[in-house]
Amino acid sequence: MRTGVRSTVDRLDAPSAYYHSRNNKRRRNDHGRDGKDGKDGDTEMQDSKPEEPPEDPLRNATTLYVGNLSFYTTEEQVYELFSKCGEIKRLVMGLDRFQKTPCGFCFVEYYTHQDALDCMKYIGGTKLDERVIRTDLDPGFEEGRQYGRGKSGGQVRDEYRDDFDEGRGGLGRAIQAERMRDSERNREKDTHHEDDYGRLR
Amino acid sequence: MADYDRRQSGGFNRKRRYRDDDEYDRRPQRRRFEAPLPVRIRKQLLGLAESPLRRWHEEVQSIAQAIAEGYDDQELQASFLDLVPQMVLEQPLKTPFVAAVVLVVNSLKPEVLDALLARITSATEEKAKEGEWRDVKLYLKFLACLQSCLEGDGLFLVLDELFSRAVDLQTASSEDTIGTELVKIILLTIPYILAAAPSTQSQQKAAELMDKTDIIASEPHALQVLIDPYHPEQESESPVASLSLISLLQKQLQNEAANDWPLSCLPRPWRMPLEEIEQQEKLDNAQKHTLPVISLPDKVTTGPRPLFPEIYYSVYVHQEVESVPPVSSIASSIIRDALLDTINVLHFNRNVTARFLIDADCYFAPGTFIKRATPFDRLREMDGDRSSWKPEDVAVDAVFSQLYQLPTPEHKLVYYHSVLTEACKIAPAAIAPSLGRAIRYCYQNSYRLDLELSHRFLDWFTHHLSNFGFMWKWTEWVDDVGLPDMHPCKSFILGALDKEIRLSFAQRIKGTLPEPYQALIGPEKEQDTPDFKFNHEHTPFSAEGKELAALLKRKAPDEEIQPVIDRIHSAALDQSIDPLVTSTDVFMTAVCWVGSKSLSHVLACIERTKDRLLDAGAASEAARAQIITAVVSYWSAHPGVAITIIEKLLNYSIVTPGAVIDWALVGDRAGPYGQALSKAWVFELVFHTVVKVTSRLRQVVKGGGTEGVQEEIAAMRELFRAMNDALISWAQGTKDQLMDPVSSDGGEDLVKRWGERWLRVFRRRSAIEEAFLSESQTSS
Repeated sequence: MRTGVRSTVDRLDAPSAYYHSRNNKRRRNDHGRDGKDGKDGDTEMQDSKPEEPPEDPLRNATTLYVGNLSFYTTEEQVYELFSKCGEIKRLVMGLDRFQKTPCGFCFVEYYTHQDALDCMKYIGGTKLDERVIRTDLDPGFEEGRQYGRGKSGGQVRDEYRDDFDEGRGGLGRAIQAERMRDSERNREKDTHHEDDYGRLR
Repeated sequence: MADYDRRQSGGFNRKRRYRDDDEYDRRPQRRRFEAPLPVRIRKQLLGLAESPLRRWHEEVQSIAQAIAEGYDDQELQASFLDLVPQMVLEQPLKTPFVAAVVLVVNSLKPEVLDALLARITSATEEKAKEGEWRDVKLYLKFLACLQSCLEGDGLFLVLDELFSRAVDLQTASSEDTIGTELVKIILLTIPYILAAAPSTQSQQKAAELMDKTDIIASEPHALQVLIDPYHPEQESESPVASLSLISLLQKQLQNEAANDWPLSCLPRPWRMPLEEIEQQEKLDNAQKHTLPVISLPDKVTTGPRPLFPEIYYSVYVHQEVESVPPVSSIASSIIRDALLDTINVLHFNRNVTARFLIDADCYFAPGTFIKRATPFDRLREMDGDRSSWKPEDVAVDAVFSQLYQLPTPEHKLVYYHSVLTEACKIAPAAIAPSLGRAIRYCYQNSYRLDLELSHRFLDWFTHHLSNFGFMWKWTEWVDDVGLPDMHPCKSFILGALDKEIRLSFAQRIKGTLPEPYQALIGPEKEQDTPDFKFNHEHTPFSAEGKELAALLKRKAPDEEIQPVIDRIHSAALDQSIDPLVTSTDVFMTAVCWVGSKSLSHVLACIERTKDRLLDAGAASEAARAQIITAVVSYWSAHPGVAITIIEKLLNYSIVTPGAVIDWALVGDRAGPYGQALSKAWVFELVFHTVVKVTSRLRQVVKGGGTEGVQEEIAAMRELFRAMNDALISWAQGTKDQLMDPVSSDGGEDLVKRWGERWLRVFRRRSAIEEAFLSESQTSS
């Protein structure tokens, strides 16, 4: 792929179908806001120009989206694992919009494109905190970029999940809300959080 | 295997009512339509020999037939001529089978060969010019398998030419490594020629060639000591001292020659069974072709990766029953070579790599291995004649040889971790017990393993366990829990538990450990955030500490912080202690405490206060050291966090590499009486710091800039010199702390040994950087 010739076996450092499908969609209807998509389309992105340059925005990508994390996985754990592919420049934990607690994804930025590719090859699909995590190349974090989250503030995939996933808050939130409307949740209550949480230079 | 998908093995979220973020496209396949011929042939070629259910000669013949019949199709021609060379490079285990297809094609449509040989030879020339020696070796291996359809001496002419180059290079310099590499290529190609064309003529040519290679192959290489994976104690010899790869190869080939070249592990898919006598005849009488000349470049180069001599390493050779080929057998080298190429070439798909490793027995002669997943204990019951080589041991051994490759393997270490993880996922019952035996061997030998490799082992072991529920039979090392912390085995256990906790959390890891280990994980490790010592009234400067923390928390401007610092200074002067060191301790500890919620918090806090920290760090050596001390003591229960913070402080130049080295190796700050040397995290801290310095320098040098390069080089040399001085005094026992009578509890010898092991690692790093510098000077 990278050499221009198709390899005799697939490469694990290619962007996922998700990225391409999202991009195609955007091109088709100009504004690709749809929260139903797996990784939750950006709700806000610089107004997409009508004619995008053909340059692949992932060509020099140094950032990875990391998904399927447990809500309880810490930055330190992510550092410990992802540093095996190179020094981490920046780590941005995805936070629940309302509770400001980790909601199961993050962005890892490396200093080099090669480190990011290696991470796709060697870490994507392995376990962190005993969950199989998923990595995808990402064009990069920009200040102010918002990550689409569902009504409840977490990732959309956690709204309607009907399997019980302990690491991601049990059942899907919409379902949970229905079932346990009155029961108080005390676990994730966090009284003090800082505005700059997750913003790291 | 061509269209190997990226399906995950975890069975979570089977119901796909809502598309989750694991977006591997798994829509139901559309009804298959008959693919066009070139596509079908591509698929068949790529799947060659993968299934043990298909018989080799039938598979080979049917593909060859289809190619010969459809060869008028332009598209098929083009795709075939592209695919064969590519397959030879990307899937080296299949080379003999691809060659067999080509040989049968030759018997049906000889003109195909002219085009193909031209393609391969020009590609070989190209790779030789680039210094891509592995690719050259892989092409030659393919050509060797075609020797029976080559005119005259065939490939031997190329090997002769390679040898004369090797002689020139070796005569020119005793430290030359390209010549060694060329000899290795020659010796690894010979067996394939003899398996393909076992004529008397070939045997004679091989004998002549081997007579010549003997001098180079038998001479121990000047650099071998540098890359020996073992670091034996004085007066003992490394277990692999005589196992240089090319000297082994030379002996193994001589052995084969003496027995009429049985080469019993090599597959011979070009040899038809008796019932196919007609096809065999056609093959024997097929047209022969002249091999186009392969001219080597005038000046051969090392290529993108520096070359080093190689040592044959195995974690299974010392067992009472052979579970891998012994070093006396050519099979050990041939199989290892093919597996290593597979592993290193296929770095872009570890699943496929792992599959190849598990299926290794498909690609060698029947009977080479014992049945897959045969338990080790059952090997003893084997008859004398049958092979007792376990395919999974051979596979695991190959990966370990890369993990333990010095100075560095081709890819990041984590790649080799991931290959073992996948292999273990594909065939847990077969691979896990083999890994267990490898782990035991490494653990028991950790006292004499090179220290850098001990750390690679530690890192792999814990990373591996993290992928498999942290399950390990800790009970078998229970007796070692009582050893002194400085004992290599105990040091490993302590390091492993810390690393496990970093990837998980203390309570979880405690749950995986037998009783005697519980005490090794204290309550402080279970605490989410460490205490702030200034919260205790008895701590000197408690009030100032609390005040600074409060200011930092509300992001007060520096003007508000300065008065508190001034107060500390004047109080310190009254008590005649170093004011700056005192205030630095209070301040840095407060930064750690305020940022203790996560790395993002502490890094944001450092970012806000970096000017103050920079000033403090620049003011005195003692203050720089105090910054490190404050971080490490605040995070003493979680050294991994401390290491990450210090790494960022290095990036800001708040502390210098020299300060880190000094802090860790000189004096008692990282542990009394030299105990620091036995702590895995201290090694990690120092190693990372050195790697940071050297990789930065390499970047600058490669970038071609001249400005400041000399200063950087001088700084690096100074760093290595300082390490050398500090470590020598530990290794020789002349350190003051060591002389301290209080510490004479027999630990002295342990400290000296740690000192020696550290010294070897960093002297090697230094030598390799010097080699890089002189290389880049001569080439520019």
